[in-house]
Amino acid sequence: MFDEQVVRRDPQVADLMDQFVCVRLVQANAMDLSLFQFDYDLTFAVFFLNADKTVYGRFSSRSDRKDATKEITLEGFRKALAAALDLHKGYPANKASLAGKQPLPPRFKSPEEYPSLRGKYQATLDYEGKVVQSCMHCHQVRDAERLFFRADRKPIPDEVLYPWPMPNVAGLSLDPKEKAKVRSVAPGSAAAKDGFRAGDELLTLEGQPLLSIADVQWVLHHALQPARLKAEVLRGNNKRALTLNLSKDWRRQSDISWRVTTWDLRRMATGGLVLREATAEERRQANLPDSALALRVEHVGEYGDHAAAKRAGFKKDDLVVSVDDQAGRLTESELLGYLLQNKMPGARVPVAVLRAGERVNLELPMQ
Amino acid sequence: MIRHLNIPTILTSLLLLAATTMPADEDRREKVLKDRTEVQADGHWIYNDLPKGFAQASQTGQPLLVVFRCIP
Repeated sequence: MFDEQVVRRDPQVADLMDQFVCVRLVQANAMDLSLFQFDYDLTFAVFFLNADKTVYGRFSSRSDRKDATKEITLEGFRKALAAALDLHKGYPANKASLAGKQPLPPRFKSPEEYPSLRGKYQATLDYEGKVVQSCMHCHQVRDAERLFFRADRKPIPDEVLYPWPMPNVAGLSLDPKEKAKVRSVAPGSAAAKDGFRAGDELLTLEGQPLLSIADVQWVLHHALQPARLKAEVLRGNNKRALTLNLSKDWRRQSDISWRVTTWDLRRMATGGLVLREATAEERRQANLPDSALALRVEHVGEYGDHAAAKRAGFKKDDLVVSVDDQAGRLTESELLGYLLQNKMPGARVPVAVLRAGERVNLELPMQ
Repeated sequence: MIRHLNIPTILTSLLLLAATTMPADEDRREKVLKDRTEVQADGHWIYNDLPKGFAQASQTGQPLLVVFRCIP
């Protein structure tokens, strides 16, 4: 377990960790959101800071529901620690280069100020009483941010629905054993078209020195749609300037299915259904081309608002082939985005499914 | 819907729900308490006290490493 290796100061990183003041926080209660802006779906996240609260960098990334440590390694953590120490040595002379890494003014200064969390938690954990119930999870900050829009019947913005995109959304697969080194570039992707190559080390993005994949995600999280991101890369012994061009809809290609907060999105938009893309074989059997919508119902919620789809007649293994009279190919993440930006609570969206080869028309209630 | 359920059925459901959720809560409670005990005993970490961390960093001139951990 990665966290245990860090908390026990694994010999691979102990000498560098000794040069930091190490703080462990196990609650989101009273979190200073004007400072701690990170991917709140993570269960382990690291900040490197100056005592004056200047952020040197962030560490920890995730892209898989079951494997929380697929994108993090001790080797990569060691390199991030070393790079943070270098930035600390160069501080404050390097302060201008860190400007883009600093947090932006938040909507609310602490989680407890969000309407959906107001009055529910104390600032500290109740270790003498119900400690589990007294603990606010980091992911509740993101849940609250989305509810802020949904409860007001407003479309949830792209950056709130698709937060902290992994670099692979642009075609860049980064090596978790490095700070921000390109392991591979997806053929035909934005990164491929813009000249990025496997082996390139990303030194800066938008002028920000990069300590980790999380630092790349920070830049992407705040990037516009479309965007032109300036990168400095080390290729062999030579530094090169490249530009990563991102299209208008680039962010919507993010996979959010692994995120714990997507559970609540499913309540709102799919009535508790968990959907996955049909396999090539399933498409062939259903006589559906690659361009067609084909989402298999993998799970039907059983309780409360998560059972809304069940009550509407949806069943496990149904194959969704049309939503709102549209039949073009979408991932579950894209479908959630479409529904949450276009259909407000109370609406009923027509959906067609294939069940045992027969087309069945149903209605999906929005919540 | 609820009017079709009788009292014994409701009580049985509540007991079943309690039986399935209590061990998970107890397990997590133990993990949360154990984490605090063990990490504090280790002596290398400032536990759940950010102001103390900033004060120490100001005093020593060292940078801070702040870990957020959601104990499963």
